[in-house]
Amino acid sequence: MPAAAAVRNNALVDRAKAGDRLAFGQLVEANYDFIFRVACKWTGKKSDAEDIAQEVCIKLATAIQSFDGRSAFTSWLYRVTINMVRDMQRSSSRRDRNVDAFSLVHPEDDPGGQEEATTAKEIWNKVSELPEKQREAIMLVYAEDMNHADAAEIMGCKEATVSWHIHEAKKTLRGLL
Amino acid sequence: MDDDKMTDDTLSTLKMLRASAPSAEAKKLALNTAMLAFDAAQPKKAAAATKAGWRNRWTLGAGLGVPLGTAVAALVLLPLGTQLYTATSNHTDAVPPKTVTTDGVLKKEIAIAASDMPAKQDEVDSKIKSSTLSLQQQPKTARPVAPPKDGEAQPPVPTGTVTEEAEPMMDQLATVALAPMELDRDAAKMTAAPNGNSGLMGGIAQPLPSANAVPQQPSGDTFQKFDENRVKVTRDEPVSTFSIDVDTASYSYVRGLLKDGYLPDPEAVRLEEMINYFPYDYPAPASIDTPFKATMAVIPTPWNPKTELLEIGIKGYVPPATARAPENLTFLIDTSGSMDEPNKLPLLKRSFGLLVDTLQPNDTVSIVTYAGSAGVALKPTKASDRSTILSALDQMVADGSTDGIDGIALAYKVNAEAKGEGTINRVILATDGDFNVGISEPDELKTYIKTQRGNGIFLSVLGFGRGNLDDELMQSLAQNGNGNASYIDTFQEAQKVLVEEGGANLVTIAKDVKIQVEFNPAQVSEYRLIGYETRVLNREDFNNDAVDAGEIGAGHTVTAIYEITPTGSGGDLNDPLRYQMSAAPVATSDEFGFLKMRYKTPEGEVSKLIQTPIGKDLVVGDLAQASTDQRFAASVAAFGQKLKGSNYGEALTWQRISDLANGAKGTDVNGYRAEFVQMVKLAALLNPDHAGSGKSIYDDPKGGKSGPVRSTGGRPTLN
Repeated sequence: MPAAAAVRNNALVDRAKAGDRLAFGQLVEANYDFIFRVACKWTGKKSDAEDIAQEVCIKLATAIQSFDGRSAFTSWLYRVTINMVRDMQRSSSRRDRNVDAFSLVHPEDDPGGQEEATTAKEIWNKVSELPEKQREAIMLVYAEDMNHADAAEIMGCKEATVSWHIHEAKKTLRGLL
Repeated sequence: MDDDKMTDDTLSTLKMLRASAPSAEAKKLALNTAMLAFDAAQPKKAAAATKAGWRNRWTLGAGLGVPLGTAVAALVLLPLGTQLYTATSNHTDAVPPKTVTTDGVLKKEIAIAASDMPAKQDEVDSKIKSSTLSLQQQPKTARPVAPPKDGEAQPPVPTGTVTEEAEPMMDQLATVALAPMELDRDAAKMTAAPNGNSGLMGGIAQPLPSANAVPQQPSGDTFQKFDENRVKVTRDEPVSTFSIDVDTASYSYVRGLLKDGYLPDPEAVRLEEMINYFPYDYPAPASIDTPFKATMAVIPTPWNPKTELLEIGIKGYVPPATARAPENLTFLIDTSGSMDEPNKLPLLKRSFGLLVDTLQPNDTVSIVTYAGSAGVALKPTKASDRSTILSALDQMVADGSTDGIDGIALAYKVNAEAKGEGTINRVILATDGDFNVGISEPDELKTYIKTQRGNGIFLSVLGFGRGNLDDELMQSLAQNGNGNASYIDTFQEAQKVLVEEGGANLVTIAKDVKIQVEFNPAQVSEYRLIGYETRVLNREDFNNDAVDAGEIGAGHTVTAIYEITPTGSGGDLNDPLRYQMSAAPVATSDEFGFLKMRYKTPEGEVSKLIQTPIGKDLVVGDLAQASTDQRFAASVAAFGQKLKGSNYGEALTWQRISDLANGAKGTDVNGYRAEFVQMVKLAALLNPDHAGSGKSIYDDPKGGKSGPVRSTGGRPTLN
């Protein structure tokens, strides 16, 4: 994230924490796309991603008070979003959804990379079958292109734990990919 | 491990995952529910305090809405309205919003559950079920469902009257209703507004609020928060004291925003700075012995038939051009990377070029830049050597991070070197933002500037650009440095600040100017100072020479306006008390009050007093007979109040304000007043008055069906 945007976020967070309505509005507005994008990658379904993004936005209204600035705002926002994804997916009603609604990629969005995207989608299908922690580690490290340390910060665990999750995930996937 | 490497590569293709773009509706919905949640999360008091401010700004007339959007918004609004009415009539706590989303491919249902009222839960639930609408969000068709039956749609009539507590709820409700308002292009093409809804819409949906249709000011700029001055009861608080303020930054900042199509944050609108932006043709004092002179008038209030405006116009002495002492100026210029935008450093260079042109050969200019490190770009140079100065200006480039503090110290040092006998010494700081490094403690910085002020070097601040402006720090630095803060957004503004008013801004003729008005309760029952919130002084500060106040430059005009309620006019906002003795007025004078002004000469340490009664002879009975200056100042006050969603004077329509200003342009040599009229029109576009009246639903729960506004006519005559 560019430094300027981070500074901007932090300034808005401070104002929002103090009850500045306008700042909160701008903060949510500025970060909605990020939240949605993460949710979309994680759930693979646009309508779910919208639901999750909305829940995250609502949650921010109160959760913002607990953001202490020790991690970057985006890392924190990742965590909030991913937790929300987890909550959503745990609820049983969301388990048995039809896979045909899969809408990660709209061809018109990205005409060039369609083939890779299709491959990516297949891999994603496999990854989504993994246990929760492994799935998260894989997504952060591969889909979001983070190093293990950053992923660990977001997952709230040790770096070694992330590495271990990745290792386990690969072991499972090896036969499938 | 080949195998591992292969898996690694395969997994790397996950990077190719593309998330589709979020739909505008979903985003809007999320933002609005988030705002609702945010409001609910705030302590109640805070919500009430900001209510008036943002309410007006978020309210957009139905005129801009596309028919479909209007209808859809109304439909969503209705059930929520029902629910909130129910909730508020039973319960006064803020309702934590909870959005229930149900699974469905393209369907979203919005509902708000008042989770803290278990007793009513079932009833509420059934109401939601009966009246919640399914908003079919299909890409090509938007098909609002038929409105709920009348019986369910009507808000149950609360047993008592709807109390104050209901208002924040209504605000929240308004915010929710925005959800579907911003239409994407597809929907905008649809023309089919469902018929038969108009009756239902009439009540609640009349003033359609829109948050996001009207963009707010870009974030990052910080402003000092302040509460608007309240109406004071003369009997309780007969004395009003404040410091003069000749800053104009607020107006140019607001103008820049409006021109770009944004509405400003209420904090950014400082009424006194709006009013004082314009030159007024008040009579100037004849000699330097009385450095300034006050001209007063009492004119009818354009926005309230029962009150009057007391306008106090002050004009500073204009010394003859030849008599001016040589100036010793140090430009302290922010050359950090962020200044590298057309409206920052390049504009600044041209602006200072203008200033250099106006200098006399004997004046001295030096330039200090600050960025990663502070440096002297130009040693003190006589203004006669114009080319050296201009080429030094020209060579500045924007790079590095801001380190304003070292720069300030260096600038004062360079300036002190060039100090001569009787020179006017000033550091002019030009920046686009805050000072990140060095003396991070603003108080320490202020103390430093104050010390330098004591040494005879004043400080002025010029703000450039937008997005990172620390207006509060700018203001307080300039105030502590006996200077003024201006905001330069265009070359034209540079011309005004540095050339037209260059003398006034650089040559201080009186410092620590304080104003104190004592009102006479026999004539004035209530009063309210318009603006100057950030300049209010304690009563005892008036005679305390140690308390700092504002400066007046050569030829400066400063205008202060009080809205006063004549005793017995019936316009009082405060009811008479039942148990307090209504003591007879001590004096039975027919004066409105008594004006006292204190000032010090630029070098002086002991203040002098100017005083004059505010008599009945100042009354101008008809607005049309007031001078153009007085009428114009009143229109600027009205504009500012409306723009910031003031608690007072909202009733005036934009049209009326623009008419008032248009009729009071006078000679308007520089076109500032004509430009102001354009500003009013822009604001009217961004935040239109509601059809039929300038009131909003919040003023009238019956939904704006009442008669025309009470902005004109029928004012009582003074006794």
